[in-house]
Amino acid sequence: MRAGTDKTWFVDLTAGKSWVEESPLDEVAPYLGGSGYGWRLLADRLPARVDPLGPENIVVLNPGVLVGTRTVGASKLTAITKFPTVASADRRFFVGSCTSGGRYFALGLRQAGCDRLVLLGKAPRPVVLAIRDGGVAIEDASHLWGKGIDEVSRHLVKQEGPDAGVLVIGTGGEKLVRNALAIIDRTNSLGRGGLGAVLGSKNVKAIVARGTGGIRVADPARYDALSTELVSRVAAWPRRAHWIKLGLAAGWDTFKHTQNPGMWPKERWDDLYGEAKRMESLRSVIACTSCPLSCRLRWEIPGGQFGGETGLGSPYSKSATSGQLLGIEDDRKMIHLVTQANSLTGIDFYTTTRIIDFLTRMAEEGRIPRRQGDVDLSRGYETVERLFRMTADREGIGDVIADGWYRVEEEFGLDPQDYWYAGVCKGIDFIYDARPSRFHPLMMTFLTRPRPHHGGSHTRTNSRNKTLEEFREQVAHWGLSAETLERIFTAAPYTGKFNVGRYTSHMEDMMQVKNALGICTIYTYQALVFGDDMARLYSAAVGEEVGPGELIRRGERISNVAKVLNVREGFTRLDDRAPDVWFRPMNTPEGTIEMEDYFQTKVLTREDVERMLDDYYDERGWTRELGIPTPEALEGLGLADLIDGSGKTRTETGRQR
Amino acid sequence: MESGAGRLVVWRDRCRGCRSCQLACSFRKTGEYNPSGSAIVLERDLATEKTAPMIRALSCDLCGGRPACVEACTYGALTFELLPRIEVRY
Repeated sequence: MRAGTDKTWFVDLTAGKSWVEESPLDEVAPYLGGSGYGWRLLADRLPARVDPLGPENIVVLNPGVLVGTRTVGASKLTAITKFPTVASADRRFFVGSCTSGGRYFALGLRQAGCDRLVLLGKAPRPVVLAIRDGGVAIEDASHLWGKGIDEVSRHLVKQEGPDAGVLVIGTGGEKLVRNALAIIDRTNSLGRGGLGAVLGSKNVKAIVARGTGGIRVADPARYDALSTELVSRVAAWPRRAHWIKLGLAAGWDTFKHTQNPGMWPKERWDDLYGEAKRMESLRSVIACTSCPLSCRLRWEIPGGQFGGETGLGSPYSKSATSGQLLGIEDDRKMIHLVTQANSLTGIDFYTTTRIIDFLTRMAEEGRIPRRQGDVDLSRGYETVERLFRMTADREGIGDVIADGWYRVEEEFGLDPQDYWYAGVCKGIDFIYDARPSRFHPLMMTFLTRPRPHHGGSHTRTNSRNKTLEEFREQVAHWGLSAETLERIFTAAPYTGKFNVGRYTSHMEDMMQVKNALGICTIYTYQALVFGDDMARLYSAAVGEEVGPGELIRRGERISNVAKVLNVREGFTRLDDRAPDVWFRPMNTPEGTIEMEDYFQTKVLTREDVERMLDDYYDERGWTRELGIPTPEALEGLGLADLIDGSGKTRTETGRQR
Repeated sequence: MESGAGRLVVWRDRCRGCRSCQLACSFRKTGEYNPSGSAIVLERDLATEKTAPMIRALSCDLCGGRPACVEACTYGALTFELLPRIEVRY
């Protein structure tokens, strides 16, 4: 945000036109700018119930307000759109946000003078959008259509220069695989649930961004001093040495407990996918912009069928979990599939491998025919690799997988709620399971966020073995009132030691702040940057003195706008439903795991989770019955103009499933 | 005994590509954060995504002996070594 204004670049792909709209700071500031104001723009412009893969859908790309400054972790971009994941049996689709760090793309947008990029309509043929100083060019991409993500990324960087940022979709996005995502700067993924398919539906193969402009802040001396202080704090973090050595390859010792699918003995998983295995392929750790904790990885597969193959991103956690689920012992084969997803097809590794796991196991148990067309669904790597490719190409049974869990239900009569690991909500499988993970706030936000993925909402509660005092201290830095803290940290018979429902509503508002500002969630996850730090940074950046309490209040406003958009789409509390599998004991070689609260004081029942959902909606001032904003709640946040829409939709959606 | 004069040392292998050096450099020079306006170019190897800072010698005045880029780099890829005022040789 420069010189008190906020510039949104609009591209009408149908008409081949682009223009810039400047918004005054007093209009933007109530939403913090960045993705906060992006949500507001979408609420004003996206008609309800449009086809997410039709030209009426809108994509809003928002670099954070602080991106391009020297603040730790200020590298993030948030995309908002209506996602094509089929989210309910009656085919509703959520409007959601997704975030990603990056090295060049978000910064390139801001340097070019683009605080926000809005894509409307559909290009008549494949295009690349080139964002350069002062303007956007819509360039033919026919020669790039059908090519993989990495090939196109490298081509565009060579063409535009080494500082060019790129966002590229793969062949899966082109073929409208509903889970397909986009890859930023080759190293960061954006948009599980289908951002890549939405861009594919608009014929946008890639966006390249490069500029030469500077990023100004209102009070440079104060802002830079605050940034220096945070850099020093992070540099002094005792775990930093370990972190920068391993990046996202770190953390196996916790991961093997919290994300254990429970099929193999832990020792066997250790041997096949543990830290020693990771080190065999890890080659380097790469930082996003302004990040003193690097986490992106480069790997090289050592030997075997795929020996010498290299990739970028973060392959280890996902390959370990899916490897165990699919019974594939050779980690190199799973890493190869991650490489394929990241560098070629852009299909979502989690969803695709989970559905393949489901179908092959159901075939093994005789619930569906083993023979599907010319595919034999026998368990094993060859089947997985083939189905992975067929999904990206929408070939045969791959066309069913590409359409997601509800299509699987339609085609095979299988209930996605029977899937045994982590579960499914709003058409998306969770990346990890609430039983080994325990019911911490991130698990609840998988239920309550419009798009059931974390979206950058981590706090201290995502680390194991922390104390209640640490949780309380982190929240207190956000300027919440003593009464609010009391509500969060007063135990009830159904909560464990703190009220996850009430906590989660505030955690989501913090996430909206981080996303709008563009601060990576790792810094709140590790309790290195706090709410009051962000308030000082924001104040110095935009020249308006804002305390942490007001900052999170604006985050709450953004959360409410997001919710209203989804109420318009027909979503209610009935959709925020915990997967059935959470309430079934998980049998593992080491014993049975049931879903407990963070501090393991009790096993949680569905009734307990429902009561915490009651508290979540109550904390937000939403109706408990339907989980949607009341007119009073919206009015209190200055969103009275959204009341009509939500009121109307409320009556429309008062049905039972 | 040190003179206050020194040299900027680039440790190419240590760079992680975070661009903090460029942002700090441009801020010191212009009051804006702008990699394009800094005295540092970030080399980028597309085969590995390995990066390394390259100093444009004519644009760099070593910030008068306290280089902003050195203070900003948390990976040790840029260091500043003070030169001795008197050096005894054999």
